[in-house]
Amino acid sequence: MKKLHIFGIVIIAVTIGVIISTISDSSTYSNFKEASENPDMEFMVVGKLNLEKEMSYDPETSPYFSFYLIDGTGLEEEVRFIGSKPQDFERSDQVVITGKYQDDGFIASKILMKCPSKYNNGNNVEVKAVSES
Amino acid sequence: MEIEYIGEHLTPGIIGNAFVVFAFGFALFSGISYFLGEKHEDESWKKMGRWFFRLHSISIAGIALSLFYIIFNHYFEYNYAYQHSSTDLPLRYMLSCFWEGQEGSFLLWLFWHAVIGNVLIRTARNWENSVMTVFAVVQVMLGSMLLGVYVLGIKIGSNPFLLLRENVDMMNIPLFQNPNYSSMIEGTGLNPLLQNYWMTIHPPTLFLGFASTLVPFSYAIASLWKKSYIEWLNPVLPWTFGGIMVLGTGVLMGGAWAYEALSFGGFWAWDPVENASLVPWLFLVAAGHLMLINRNKNEKPTSLITTYALTLLTFILILYSTYLTRSGILGKTSVHSFADGMPGQLILFLFLFIGLSVWMLFHRFREIPKSKEEEAFLSREFWMFIGSLVIVIAAFQITFTTSIPVVNAIFGTSLAPPINAIEHYNSWQIPFSIVVALMMALAQFLKYKKTTSESFLKNIWLSIALSPLVTVLIAIALKMQNVILIVLLFASVLAVTSNTAFFFNVLKGKIKNAGASISHVGFALILLGALLSAGLQQNISVNTSGIDIRMKGEKSNANLDNILLYEKDTLPMGPYLVSYSGKQRSGVNMMYEVRYIEKSNGQVNEFSLYPRIQLNKMMGNVPEPDTKHFWNRDLFTYVSYVNQDDLTGEKKEDYQVLDTFILSKGDTGIVAPYLMVLKGVSRDVDYEKHKLSETDIAVKAILEIDNMHGVKSTLEPILVIRENRLYHIKDQDEDLGIRFSLTSIDPEAGKLNLIYEKDKNKKEDFIIMKAVIFPFINVLWIGCIIMIFGIVLAVYNRLSNQIKL
Repeated sequence: MKKLHIFGIVIIAVTIGVIISTISDSSTYSNFKEASENPDMEFMVVGKLNLEKEMSYDPETSPYFSFYLIDGTGLEEEVRFIGSKPQDFERSDQVVITGKYQDDGFIASKILMKCPSKYNNGNNVEVKAVSES
Repeated sequence: MEIEYIGEHLTPGIIGNAFVVFAFGFALFSGISYFLGEKHEDESWKKMGRWFFRLHSISIAGIALSLFYIIFNHYFEYNYAYQHSSTDLPLRYMLSCFWEGQEGSFLLWLFWHAVIGNVLIRTARNWENSVMTVFAVVQVMLGSMLLGVYVLGIKIGSNPFLLLRENVDMMNIPLFQNPNYSSMIEGTGLNPLLQNYWMTIHPPTLFLGFASTLVPFSYAIASLWKKSYIEWLNPVLPWTFGGIMVLGTGVLMGGAWAYEALSFGGFWAWDPVENASLVPWLFLVAAGHLMLINRNKNEKPTSLITTYALTLLTFILILYSTYLTRSGILGKTSVHSFADGMPGQLILFLFLFIGLSVWMLFHRFREIPKSKEEEAFLSREFWMFIGSLVIVIAAFQITFTTSIPVVNAIFGTSLAPPINAIEHYNSWQIPFSIVVALMMALAQFLKYKKTTSESFLKNIWLSIALSPLVTVLIAIALKMQNVILIVLLFASVLAVTSNTAFFFNVLKGKIKNAGASISHVGFALILLGALLSAGLQQNISVNTSGIDIRMKGEKSNANLDNILLYEKDTLPMGPYLVSYSGKQRSGVNMMYEVRYIEKSNGQVNEFSLYPRIQLNKMMGNVPEPDTKHFWNRDLFTYVSYVNQDDLTGEKKEDYQVLDTFILSKGDTGIVAPYLMVLKGVSRDVDYEKHKLSETDIAVKAILEIDNMHGVKSTLEPILVIRENRLYHIKDQDEDLGIRFSLTSIDPEAGKLNLIYEKDKNKKEDFIIMKAVIFPFINVLWIGCIIMIFGIVLAVYNRLSNQIKL
């Protein structure tokens, strides 16, 4: 067997590893129902803000920024984000949150918001929650 | 009813549109002429092709000038000027308008292709016909992106000279009922994130890099067409390494911009758009190294097919990354995907070029020379080949994860990118970097064809002996614990020392031949800098405010990354004391002054940082960091939240009665969070200031308020007796939002009645701020400069050798 063949096999093995690891690392876009059925597991939920309900953020008294999100299936849930409120959060028309259900509700660790592209300039902003180290 | 519009400036648009059509047409004619010139080996066709390409280039310049004229003169009746500029835009950012919009960025790309094409006309000699045919075809396709015409109901391209009233999203608004509308509109302005000096040089550099990858692609296609499978390597090598240099610079500038202007917290976040420009660079690097191998093996090329494949893939990946970033498909995953474009047309081009490449390669597959001989284990080409393949696999890993949205679009799945993307990428890219660094360290000491192990060891033993020592010293000094990072540290230290040793031992310090060693030292330093600054970054802004931030129901006491700072308050943070001293408006920015005080060895070191929020009504408010650079670390600071109301600058007062006090001299009252002391009573009242007449009797109370930060302010409410009636003149401190009135005096008991009011809307100003220390990030920047210098040297050396030949 040639040396190059050995490397070829190694390369194919690594390539397969890359594909498998990417698929296993990747999550799926989900909804609140599925997330609530699997507490303590992280999900990404895509939804729209319910602007009629109050967003609360008072950093002087609480570490949470909380808001109401309606997911793709129309289910609404209060989401709490451990971190500061993203600038211009109200303006975003689509929000992707990463988080999980814990003892008392949905806690988001990351918020990705997409602002309206009416100026032909979809401006996405990503905000990460605090690391829980 | 047709409206006769007045005041529109239609001439530059008509001229511009004519140039768009000319550019497209001349590229088409040039391609046909060059094609026939190659086919019939005919000089007159070649001359025709040349002239058409020159006319095409002039047309491209004409488009750019017309568009610039429109932006410069603020003709907002044009859609492009309306969307990407405004009257108050400083001159230095007017060029940036070009690359904010999709049409402009295609124009920039076309422009660089035209420039490079004209250089090739002068230098390509017998490759001119075939190479320029490919160039012209690409220009036809890119040129069609600017046409903006409908053919059989399908829109082809998007025209930069579209009038605002022709824009389908805008055409029905009532404004256009007014014939004189053009005098009433104002542009929406340039995205403030692009109003940064990096953004005036990063996009043109990156696009020049993109454009430069067309040269190797064209040569590869041309050589398959002409069946000269080895001769193309010599002329293409300087272009390839020139492309590596320019594209690499462009990618790194993007990182520098992100570090300076975005609050990502770092120079590289594995963002899909960043990845989209890194991947073609990695392919180009791999392709360039394979070209070197094959050129040095002249008669017996062993990896020509791989060389072809990688060269062709580089350009295809450029098209693919344009598709990723411009089509909006990244939408949900990227922080900066730019708008919805014309994915259909781009996909068509992508498949055309994939089809062309596969067809050409397949057609010539049997003819491409392949050596039966196997490379020696101890030969430079063997390890260069392996190293290049590792780079390709690393690039494949990045592409694969970045392409998850594309996978979703094709297979209808709903995969989401890895939740912890940075960790996911690092877990693969760190091991790949280790392997690449090791090969960079060792392969140069091997000679082409075959090396004896003695001569190999003779030159390298010192580096191998020294590097573990240096690694251990650094790891201990920086308290590194992560094993895989220590391995990467070792590999990059070895790459730095061995390439330096190679420069002195083998090349005897001759700088002319040292391009490769120098650029490898640079690349190894980039790895080292990335590893130290990102791997050892330290978040120092953990909450120390004393405010309880423990989560309810949370078992762990999660610490906030951010610190809450009240104005004038001072808190310990990491090795510093920090205080927020106030904000100031400067242009589009609201600057927040954060004072840092560092005490070390009895010396006090003080400095201020000004993280800011860019105020922009169109795009939203954007936080921008400010960074203090030390020789061995950067202190990176940005505000993650500020009181939004303050940004509008409006002040609404709303005083409400909170309490009444009955006090004697020397008594104190609590006006939370402050303390008030009644200092005394005085008849010394300024009658003129308060417009009192001489018959009035006025008494004032002297109140001192201690704001606990060492500043005391005095309030003096006044009681006036005029014709047996009582009046009071209130006194207030607007900064504190506190107001007092003196309502009555009981002279016998020596007591005063005071009413205390507080401004309900007055909250103490505060910021929420994050601060990160990046250790030794300068190693990274030095590495960038060294690498770029090394490649420039290598290209220069190769070119001067070729001219001598």
